[in-house]
Amino acid sequence: MPATLVPTLRKELLLLRRDPRALVRLIVLPLLFIGIFGYVFKNAGEKQGEARPIAVWNGAGPAGEPLIQGLAGSKLFTVIPAANADAVEAAVARHDQPVGLTIPPGFDPAHDHRATLWIDPGEPPQTAGPLRGAVIGVLTRAAAGGEPPKVVDVRAPAGATDPLEGLSSFQLTVPGNAVLFGFFIALTCALSFAEERRSGTWRRLLAAPVPAWKLLVAKLVPYVALGAIQVGLLFAIGALGFGMQINGSIAALAVLTVGVATCATTLGLLIAALSSTEKQISSLGAVLIMIMGLVGGCMFPRALMPHVMQQVGLFVPHGWALDGYYALLRRHGTGFADVLRPLGAVYGFALLFAVAGLRRFRFDQ
Amino acid sequence: MANDPVLELVGLGKDYGVRTAVQTIDLTLSRGEIFGLLGPNGAGKTTTISMACGVVPPSRGTARIAGADIRTRTFDAKRAIGLVPQDLALYDELTPRQNLAFFGQLYGLAGDGLARRIDWALGIAGLTDRAGDLVKTFSGGMKRRLNLAAGLIHEPTLLVLDEPTVGVDPQSRRHIFEAIRGLRDRGMTILYTSHYMEEVEELCDRVAIMDAGRVVASGAIDALTAQHTTGGVEIELDGDEAAIVAAATAAAPHGASRTGATLHLEARPPYAPAISAIEAAGARIKRIGARRADLETVFLALTGRGLRDA
Repeated sequence: MPATLVPTLRKELLLLRRDPRALVRLIVLPLLFIGIFGYVFKNAGEKQGEARPIAVWNGAGPAGEPLIQGLAGSKLFTVIPAANADAVEAAVARHDQPVGLTIPPGFDPAHDHRATLWIDPGEPPQTAGPLRGAVIGVLTRAAAGGEPPKVVDVRAPAGATDPLEGLSSFQLTVPGNAVLFGFFIALTCALSFAEERRSGTWRRLLAAPVPAWKLLVAKLVPYVALGAIQVGLLFAIGALGFGMQINGSIAALAVLTVGVATCATTLGLLIAALSSTEKQISSLGAVLIMIMGLVGGCMFPRALMPHVMQQVGLFVPHGWALDGYYALLRRHGTGFADVLRPLGAVYGFALLFAVAGLRRFRFDQ
Repeated sequence: MANDPVLELVGLGKDYGVRTAVQTIDLTLSRGEIFGLLGPNGAGKTTTISMACGVVPPSRGTARIAGADIRTRTFDAKRAIGLVPQDLALYDELTPRQNLAFFGQLYGLAGDGLARRIDWALGIAGLTDRAGDLVKTFSGGMKRRLNLAAGLIHEPTLLVLDEPTVGVDPQSRRHIFEAIRGLRDRGMTILYTSHYMEEVEELCDRVAIMDAGRVVASGAIDALTAQHTTGGVEIELDGDEAAIVAAATAAAPHGASRTGATLHLEARPPYAPAISAIEAAGARIKRIGARRADLETVFLALTGRGLRDA
């Protein structure tokens, strides 16, 4: 086997070295995406921590003061005083402020004389819900004159690892883009099969005294190695350049990375088996990889998706791979035992793609 | 053994589903022979070659290369074959040396032995000076020569050339011919397919003509052309164009037709009236001989003149 594998590996690496488009696709593009998405989400996170403006008109005098002090004291809101109730409503309607509060004369919640909370209906539900909850919580505490009685204790289950400090948005964008672009090795691999067939070198290889399965394995292994190096390199740049933390087992991370590269390569074999021209491979492969990446949570975390979509994400290897990576990056002491399911799923997908690809692959074409 | 056949095709055939690509073929090639395999498009030549080289499994029959059965001793048989495909089966982004090293390693060559073979093959291809340049910078003729070298790297017993001169300039074609003759002189057996009849006539000792998946004629070229000679006389003329045209016109009533400075008389003796008419027209007769068929005539007679687009 080494007699076939080593020269094939050397040949494939030489060919890739002279293919700048592949290098851009595999290394430069993901770094760009990691950087851009990382800074976008970083700013979004910082924005979430900022105090939100709230337009307030107090027509109740001293009776309304505790509410205003409660809002200001919560540090969640910046109170913008308004001249009258209509001005508050108008400010929210014009989207000047996302939320407004009018405290009418005679404000007395004990006798159903309540204040009115105005919310911009155009505010996204992801922010409108927490915003309304926060305002009502703050106002309820302020109206009660202090902390309400504690109803629940919040505790971590036994065995759960400690939360980490200083987690950055790159904790999400590095694995997301590493997996998304890691699967582009499937396209590179499939295109190399098409090129071998087009140029006639595949026929020449089949005429050599080497079993066809060895030719196929020797052809695939360099892409597994290359894919693993690519994803490993992206993680290394993520850790060293963008401050991403790796808190779990490095060995488990490496095994998962090899699994992702194997899965991507066997997907390349399947794409090559299903397509007969480079054009077909480019169109089918690119669409397939992008959809799988989207569904699997590479571009938008699955945790923020609707429940159904979160489950759909587990029908592609990307979802499982990211579950494994997130666990290994975010939690102290995460080891093989903690990521057995993602590991099993990723290697299972690799096997599935390999079997399906081999069933359709025509050696003599 | 020197006289043992190098290639034997025994009842070799191939079906793709209900379509028969090659019916049954029986052929034997001897050591040091250049054998031409001819046929129109879709005749089954490439399938036959592919089966002989172990690229495509046969549906029936077998091929033996240097005594090794392609079905049972596949790798021994493959080691004895060098395939030069019709496509330029090369890696454009590699140098000739890197291409040859890769293909040589697949045949188990390594180290100094591989380096010597690479130098030898590059020398045969006339590419020693360009061994370090990328193949993508080469002309069509240079790529064809390197394609030949890649099939030779393990110095096979049988060299299979599938249309090796498509799209090359006359100089490269001449170089390839000389290389093929040189290899034959070293004892290599060569199976040569081409659409160029004059190439086959120039190079090959024997030919087989295939059509519709079967061999319709085979043997020495002289024997085949003799079989298809329709008789008649060829008269080669000397003199200016006007005299030759006048002679052709004068001899036309006696069954003469003209190709350049040669008149062809149909096999309708006596020929004396035609010859007298030619001389009377003022042309000088340079040579008179029996009219012979060439390989193209034989090919068209056996495979027909209908277009083959398969």
